[in-house]
Amino acid sequence: MHKKDRYKKEEKTDPGGRNPAAYTDYKSPKKAYLAIFRIQFLESIQYRAAGLTGAATSIFWVLIQIVVYTVFFTYADNVSLPGVSNGMSLSQTVSYVWLAEFLLLMQPSNFNPDILRKIESGDVGIELCRPMDLHSLWAAQNAARAVSPLLWRGVPILLAGFLPPPAWRLGPPASPLAFLLFLVGCVGAWILCFSFSTFLCVVRLNVPWGNGPCYMIFLLAMVLGGTYLPLQLWPDFLQPFLLLQPFAGYTDLPLRLYLGTMPLSDAWLLLSLPIFWSAVFLFWGRRLMHRRLKTIVVQGG
Amino acid sequence: MIPQVFLVVITDPIGSICMFARFGSIGEWSMERILLIYSMAITAFGLAETFCRGFDSFPYKMVQNGEFDRVLLRPRSTVVQVMGSVFHIHRAARVLSGCIAIAWCLWQLQIPMTPLKILFLLYSLCGGMLLYMGVFIWTSGISFFSIKGLEWIYIFTNGGYQVTRCPMPYMPRLLKNIFTFLIPILAVSYYPASVLCGWGEPLWKGLLSLPAGIGFLSTSLLMWRFGVRHYRSTGS
Repeated sequence: MHKKDRYKKEEKTDPGGRNPAAYTDYKSPKKAYLAIFRIQFLESIQYRAAGLTGAATSIFWVLIQIVVYTVFFTYADNVSLPGVSNGMSLSQTVSYVWLAEFLLLMQPSNFNPDILRKIESGDVGIELCRPMDLHSLWAAQNAARAVSPLLWRGVPILLAGFLPPPAWRLGPPASPLAFLLFLVGCVGAWILCFSFSTFLCVVRLNVPWGNGPCYMIFLLAMVLGGTYLPLQLWPDFLQPFLLLQPFAGYTDLPLRLYLGTMPLSDAWLLLSLPIFWSAVFLFWGRRLMHRRLKTIVVQGG
Repeated sequence: MIPQVFLVVITDPIGSICMFARFGSIGEWSMERILLIYSMAITAFGLAETFCRGFDSFPYKMVQNGEFDRVLLRPRSTVVQVMGSVFHIHRAARVLSGCIAIAWCLWQLQIPMTPLKILFLLYSLCGGMLLYMGVFIWTSGISFFSIKGLEWIYIFTNGGYQVTRCPMPYMPRLLKNIFTFLIPILAVSYYPASVLCGWGEPLWKGLLSLPAGIGFLSTSLLMWRFGVRHYRSTGS
């Protein structure tokens, strides 16, 4: 809203666009993208009640998962066999479930509705009139959308994680250094999340019937990210693939650092993988978009 | 869209399947047992969803933009109108995959199927369908009072059948009571499955599925009526 008003005002003072001084704000693109980020963020965090009820849902969900894991780790037939849990203990798994629910909030499960509406209605044409790069604009919007649930929905989940009795509690990190690296990993997860959702927006721009398949990819990404089950508990033969595939950085890699299930000497790998994949998604998406925009057909009148 | 629903159905229990593959059965609770209970719940959910799809988008499509005013003007039941406002045939994918899963589990558990048992299965699926219809109706009825932040209702819809992932003897009493007496999801999944396969629950508990479904649906309809009376148009 804020940005639009400003755009109008400038139109009034400089109708022909001949005076470059009127565009000083847009001469610094960084500022414009930060403004976009701020608008989207403020818009999404204003629904405090929605965030809190969402947190209640997540907490309920976590508790059910903890029950199921506890049953497996306590009563299953093979539980005494060596290596059955691939190096994860029950308390680590419980901590994993709490933190995974928190990180899940950043992950895209659908398109940013604003962007999807623009793609479907042809308003992308209007977006193209803005003196901004469309890809960066979408990335900024998606980046804001990814972090905005963390405040009203994410913080209550973490607080709830410290309250229950020890068997259900979110445990402390493996070491202070592990915690620092985990925080870096979370930033990596955030970058990965918004670069992937931006990438899919670009894909959606290219395929007019693309909603269904894209939702499948969103879902698949969340499964491969380790939200449903810690990747270490997947079958052993899949482990190398699961570690290197793009979506491990969503949840699993940062949490391996927090829980200490992977030696800290491997931290460079765990931290650089999401950055590598984010770069792939951003560059590929940008190329796809520029190719597409050369021949774009705007739908709607 | 149909492959999309299939993917949802397959990915939902994948966590359980991987855990069973790694940890083995829990006593006599094998993967097939858990899958059977789960797929009974999900088939019932799918059946209800096929017919009650309109309630899913009701808060966004009808209450938020005042479309519901038009529904109120027509001389027909509001429930039926909302129910029929959206119909997606692809939702039947969940029913289909649920049925396949039920058949596979029964075959793996080597339960001989007699006509009577098939009838019993259909009976309990019917109960489950009515129950989930009730869930859909009251969860969307809440939007008469609040149109934002309806996500917690997933505890009772999608989250509800997740509860069936936990083997019954190990389920905390509180959880068991909530999902037997408050929202009788276990009454339409676990108890019928237990009677069907002879896991030790008495027959009358299995037969409670249909009354439980009807009871829940009627309560929801009452709540819906209460909500309609409190409806205030948001449209212009």
